[in-house]
Amino acid sequence: MATGQVRIRVPDGVKAGDVVTVRVLVTHPMEVLRMEGGKPVEKNYNFIHRMAATYNGKTVFEAETTQAVSQNPFFSFPVKVTEPGKLQIQFEDTEGRSYTGETDIKF
Amino acid sequence: MNTPIESRARRRALKTLAATGMALGGLSLGLLTPAQVLAAAPGMPLPDEAVADTLVRLFGDRKPQPAGEHIKLDAPLIAENGSVVPIRIESDLPMAADNYVKHVYIISDKNRRPLNAKFTLTPESGRLSMATNVRMAGTTDVRVIAEMSDGTLWEAKQEVKVTVGGCGG
Repeated sequence: MATGQVRIRVPDGVKAGDVVTVRVLVTHPMEVLRMEGGKPVEKNYNFIHRMAATYNGKTVFEAETTQAVSQNPFFSFPVKVTEPGKLQIQFEDTEGRSYTGETDIKF
Repeated sequence: MNTPIESRARRRALKTLAATGMALGGLSLGLLTPAQVLAAAPGMPLPDEAVADTLVRLFGDRKPQPAGEHIKLDAPLIAENGSVVPIRIESDLPMAADNYVKHVYIISDKNRRPLNAKFTLTPESGRLSMATNVRMAGTTDVRVIAEMSDGTLWEAKQEVKVTVGGCGG
């Protein structure tokens, strides 16, 4: 799996007003310490430090993660849906790259 | 004798040095609020600290109260691999527009850097029910602290025995 692949799963058969549990997984090494010449370097970390989910353009969930979140971070979070729409999830890592995934929630 | 360009570069270097010194001074005197410290170095690991310091840094002198039935923390009793410890949180705390769970913190007491993650929710979340995987350095308590929009703190705790620690943390 390539780094930065975002996979989102939402349940089927959603009704208006339901609280939907969204599950999202992003492929990322979440490096704790990078080795240089066989020695760990106390800088140059590379991990996802921010995640934000928007539903129809409105922020519904945010996370500030540290290096103590597992490799290939997985999150599940609730969203109350009142109308069908587009769920967009963005991840940012400490090297400034961002990874985005989106899915539609249909009724 | 310095050429004008050289002296200009030198002046700039001195200015940078002075600014850095001031910033460091601000940190060590504790003049910056916790939010500023978190935001000051985006993506840099948090400082090595004991869990008590983390709690003070995040919440000041506010003490969390035991959540009891309000938060159900689901974590394994024994985690064979400390680098992937699944944590699931269910709660019946209100999610109304005027009183809702604003932040959820996951803290592993004995990690070198105890704060695992901080989550921000909104009233639109509907119900607090979430999950993630964290790294743990060794056998220790996992705390989940929910901060309500009015500042009340609720805490749920469970010990997780870790067979093989997830490095770093």
